[in-house]
Amino acid sequence: MSIALFVLRRLGRGAVTILFAVTVTFLLLRLLPGDPALAVASTNMTEDARAALLTQYGLDQPLPVQYVLYLGQLLQGNLGTSFTQSVPVVDVLLQRLPWTLLLTISALVLTIVIGIPLGVLAASHKNRFLDRLVQVLGVTGQSLFVPSVGILLLLVFGLTFRWFPIGGAYSEGVYGMEWYGSVLQHLVLPTVSLALIQLGSFALTMRATLIDALGDDYVTLAKANGIPPRRILWKHALRNAMLPAITLIGLQLGFVVGGAVLTETVFAYPGIGRGIYEAVTQLDFPVLQGAFLLLALTVVIANMLTDIAYGFLDPRVKTAS
Amino acid sequence: MTAPLTTTELTTPLVEPAGQRGDRASRATWRAFRRQPLGIASLAILTILVLVSVLAPILSAYPASYGTDVLRPPSATHWFGTDALGRDVFAEVIWGTQQSVLVAVAASAIAIMIGTLVAVAGAYVPRLDTFVSVVVDLTLSLPVLPLMILVAALAGPSTWTIILVVAAFSWPEVTRLVRSQALAVVKLPYIDAARLMTRNHIWIVGRHIIPAVTPVIVVSVVVTASRAVLSAAGLAFLGLGDPTTWSWGRILFEAQQSGAMVSAWWLTLFPSLAILALVLSATLLSIGYNDARNPRNHER
Repeated sequence: MSIALFVLRRLGRGAVTILFAVTVTFLLLRLLPGDPALAVASTNMTEDARAALLTQYGLDQPLPVQYVLYLGQLLQGNLGTSFTQSVPVVDVLLQRLPWTLLLTISALVLTIVIGIPLGVLAASHKNRFLDRLVQVLGVTGQSLFVPSVGILLLLVFGLTFRWFPIGGAYSEGVYGMEWYGSVLQHLVLPTVSLALIQLGSFALTMRATLIDALGDDYVTLAKANGIPPRRILWKHALRNAMLPAITLIGLQLGFVVGGAVLTETVFAYPGIGRGIYEAVTQLDFPVLQGAFLLLALTVVIANMLTDIAYGFLDPRVKTAS
Repeated sequence: MTAPLTTTELTTPLVEPAGQRGDRASRATWRAFRRQPLGIASLAILTILVLVSVLAPILSAYPASYGTDVLRPPSATHWFGTDALGRDVFAEVIWGTQQSVLVAVAASAIAIMIGTLVAVAGAYVPRLDTFVSVVVDLTLSLPVLPLMILVAALAGPSTWTIILVVAAFSWPEVTRLVRSQALAVVKLPYIDAARLMTRNHIWIVGRHIIPAVTPVIVVSVVVTASRAVLSAAGLAFLGLGDPTTWSWGRILFEAQQSGAMVSAWWLTLFPSLAILALVLSATLLSIGYNDARNPRNHER
């Protein structure tokens, strides 16, 4: 398969996923027992304002017409107006998106940086103490509830030791390098909580794929050639074991975003997740709908980009699909 | 797994297919399972949690709406301390167990039923399979928690909303697990033989395919149930739980709302430990079952 066709297929797949997300949202909004108008119009509006809004969104039309109108609105980037802030939802969310991206990406980087050595350690000590230890930690990590981890870190490192701030994303009234420093300081605890909940499954996958790779013929050949075991492990086997492990991260991106929503709530971190929490308290449906669609779009684009990057880096991916 | 053999003797092939290993294999699995301390411990913890949820009315009075001792640390009278309204946290955790176990059982039961039916239908009818696998892939690639939040907010907070919402977005994971196993089973010769015997597809699926994928279903029951507990706790923590029923997530949510989350460690520690105990023991149980089922582990 040529690289152009491969990229095109991935783009098409991304587009289909987005259309699926949009369709599911549309059907949920229209078919759930709640008044569909709730999603665009608040109940405490005047009758006239409400009717005008319903007509504007085409909610007096039959379902298929509504669907086309809904798609049209979304293509223009119109996600409705927030009840509580009376500003377009898109503006509210786009302001928050960078914080969520910063948090999610730092957590993923931390997961990979800690997860690879853990996986290597376990695989190279297969069935011995260190391997068992990594497995126990991995399984425990998979069972953690994000807010519990966040609150624990907050209590220990935020309140008891006072090493890190207990909430928010930056300090008020500081500028320049100092501001970036404060952003970094505020980022530590949320990033660690979010990384801890994915670390387990990442390290376990890393271990499993590495053990597979260490059983391959090229490893035997490398041993026969007298290449030092450490070099075989880190240079040869690890490179081949990385791909499935990183693919797993891509597959779990939707789950990570869910974790980010809970983490941001604990740390009052001003990302989309905290926005969702505030919107839930105020039953601000347009924000909830917009947040899901925007997060879905982000996840799909991220998956598409990593897939395409792999296509260039590893020829096997391209031919396999 | 051990359906009575009545009219089925004719179709039972000489070599037993994977799912119909009979009593002997079940006993071997149990013997291997018994030897795993972690598996037994997790089974014991799960049993205790189920007992607590059933016996909640005996173990503790329903948490009163307010009390005089506000935010007291754990003591002899209040084992887990009291919250910002003076309610006993021990009672809240005990009654929360009931809701969490209910959500885990009901949501995973619904998700397993839908997930298995869709998976088996897809594997048995090839024309459906493409559609099934596309829908499963698409759903699994979306951020599910924000979607659950939207639906739960629209449908209004209640325990049944949570159960249905969690079930509605958990079945694709079950389908993914069961489908891969079912696809392998439908290709086996004994299914072809069954097709020669009868045109009753429902009978073939029910008698031969479902039993063959049962081990995968058992594992996914446990995994789905623990995921359901985490999702339900997450929704409750965001304020989407049932405001009239106690749940572990609601205790955390109220701790956060009252601002006592950071000053009163006992408010968050005990429900967190309860969640960890349930999810971790469910995970360990599924690992233990998987190991025990593997015939290579049957001899020591």
